[in-house]
Amino acid sequence: MQKRWLFSVLAISALLASACAGGGGGGAPAGGDKGEIIIASNFPTSGADRASGRGPEAGVAFAVQENPTIKGFKITHKAYDDAVNGVHDPQKGAQNFNDMVSNAKILGVVGPFNSNVARATIPVANKASLVMISPSNTNECLTQDFSYCDPKPAALRPTGKNNYFRIAAPDTVQGPAMADFALDTLKVKKIAIFSDNETFGKGVADNFEKRFKEKGGSVVVRQDFDMKTTNDFKPFLQRAKDGGAEAIYAGATSATKGCIPRAQSKGILDVPFLGPDGIGDTQCIKDAGDQATDKLYFTNAAAEAAQDPANKDKIEAFKKSFTAKEDSGAYTFPGYDCARILLDAIGRAIDKAGGNMPTREQVLQAVQDTSNLKLTTGTYSFDKNGDPTSATMAFYQFKGGDWAFVKQFAVGK
Amino acid sequence: MSAVGAAIQRRRSQLRSGLTGRILDVALGVVVLGFLLLLAVRVYEHGLSYFVQILAFAISNGAITALIAIGYTMVYGIIELINFAHGDVFTFGSFLSASLIPLFGLSEGMEWGPLTIVPVLGVFIVTMLVAAVLNVSIERIAYRPLRHAPRLAPLITAIGMSFFLEGALFLWKGPSNVHYPDVLPRVGFEVLGAFIGAKEMTVVLTAAVLVVALALFTDRSRLGKAMRATAQDRDAAQLMGIDINRTIAATFFIGAVLAGAGGTMFGLYFNTTVFDLGFSAGLVAFTAAVFGGIGNIYGAAVGGMILGMIRSLWDGYFDSAWTDVVIFAILIMVLVFRPTGLFGMRVPEK
Repeated sequence: MQKRWLFSVLAISALLASACAGGGGGGAPAGGDKGEIIIASNFPTSGADRASGRGPEAGVAFAVQENPTIKGFKITHKAYDDAVNGVHDPQKGAQNFNDMVSNAKILGVVGPFNSNVARATIPVANKASLVMISPSNTNECLTQDFSYCDPKPAALRPTGKNNYFRIAAPDTVQGPAMADFALDTLKVKKIAIFSDNETFGKGVADNFEKRFKEKGGSVVVRQDFDMKTTNDFKPFLQRAKDGGAEAIYAGATSATKGCIPRAQSKGILDVPFLGPDGIGDTQCIKDAGDQATDKLYFTNAAAEAAQDPANKDKIEAFKKSFTAKEDSGAYTFPGYDCARILLDAIGRAIDKAGGNMPTREQVLQAVQDTSNLKLTTGTYSFDKNGDPTSATMAFYQFKGGDWAFVKQFAVGK
Repeated sequence: MSAVGAAIQRRRSQLRSGLTGRILDVALGVVVLGFLLLLAVRVYEHGLSYFVQILAFAISNGAITALIAIGYTMVYGIIELINFAHGDVFTFGSFLSASLIPLFGLSEGMEWGPLTIVPVLGVFIVTMLVAAVLNVSIERIAYRPLRHAPRLAPLITAIGMSFFLEGALFLWKGPSNVHYPDVLPRVGFEVLGAFIGAKEMTVVLTAAVLVVALALFTDRSRLGKAMRATAQDRDAAQLMGIDINRTIAATFFIGAVLAGAGGTMFGLYFNTTVFDLGFSAGLVAFTAAVFGGIGNIYGAAVGGMILGMIRSLWDGYFDSAWTDVVIFAILIMVLVFRPTGLFGMRVPEK
């Protein structure tokens, strides 16, 4: 126990040192004499989870490196790790946030990475009016009130005022986005839909079905399976074929047998197989067996910065300073954008405070007022819940042994 | 007729007489007729070739369920124990055969030569034998020492064995779904516009051969006779010079042979397996065994066939969110009117 604690302190200070060194690289802070403002980041950055958490952390460090001072204030980055034994941990996250709250120089946080960590940390930050922006949380219940949400978003915000923002599209957007993709890009008119009958899977399938019908498509068959007792998907597939389905939508994750119907479709029908980000992993490819072909597609809630040619120089500059493999991940530039939103808000908050050190409330209000800020992964404004008014949805296709990027587009709410 | 049987008979005649009983009968008749009518309309709408295709899937699904159900029923028939570990022996069969397939030189999407059937048979036989040895060991370790203990004790060790096996299977292949290589060839023939593939034929033929062999064995062989005698009255059988331990071990052996074959067939047919498959598949099969009349081998075969077929047919024609509701509604109706299951229990009369 003692050892692990020591290790995490060492890890954090090492990260801090590297972040500070990066910041110092930009030259002596010209006019950074009015004081210091710290931007914290909170991601799982040790053990197995480092592969997901280090990317956005490097993105934040890069944003601070680019902006060493704002209006006379020195900006520094303090990185927290919420992984315990290599796995993101809500309690560790809450501990980190308590530490941030007690540090008056910290005016904003980028993170967390995981929705369950967000659930545990939003209340801690909320009581101190500390603003947090997540690049990757997609659980819709963090911001929106649905009958099945437990806890309700209001329960996470004891002060009643929202302090949580995110730039990822919530899960409720994935279904309609894939429906648009199926109709407009794949030119599918008839679809067969199944779900795992769970909150997430049935939810995306319902949203998919609604949009697909609204836009003139027809659903040949819809089945909600009890995945614990169902192994035989052949009758469903045969029914899809019989009805003339041109694609199949899987409202499931690969853990709830989402891709097994794809393997069983061999010899019955071979049509595009679509799903949410829950099937976008290697397990799905294994489950599909030799039916893992270029007909598999999934949606992802984060945009790829590399798809916008305007970002070319920025990405190259990033890669010069951050050379490790895990520095560049799917969420590196979303993390960078969150830090940029925060820095932009801090700048406006300083103005509001008459050039003095702004309060946390002022920074929070400034983030809420963010208006059409064009960054590397999209153009951002927030609604009153903290969701982006326009998020980007990326589409991936299975090609040559792995998932490959196809296209992305902005989706409204 | 035992006392219990007589009581059930009496209760049933009470239930079916009087005004309420008659109303119940009529209502039930209306429900069944209405359902059959609805089914007929759906079948007509979808056409004949669709029906034949779904029927082929349904028979395959039923055959696999039947093989697991027989294992439950054999053990129950002879020692009146619900062998919860049986479902996990079935999962073990699917795991082992998945690992054996590459060892026997088979792979997904391979070309089939005239001799390819040999390694496939090899996978089947090795899996069946290893699963059988496992099941006999389970009986030796966890059930035999408790044969004269109170009834609850072996029940608990059975549950314990089930968890133990699930844990071991978890350590073997992890928590995720395991893809089972699709090695059977894409050949088959058309019947009325439906395609009957090698998968369906393999499953149905293997199950049929095993069930016929089992029937011949229990009816004709000395050991089969000994098994029936032990099931009827263990003490009397022992007095007649039957080696009870050997007979019971043989029952577990045969049950697991079928479970091992079932696991292999499940993998070849559905192309997936997972460490806790035995829990849900076992529950379905156990229900089928009760449905057919627990202790009765033919009952389990028919019960498994019917339940498996209802599941696939329902998924093919109706809303699958209702599949389990329908299956258990049918089960309740059958048990209300035939408390001993479709074919009647075959348990020792005491």
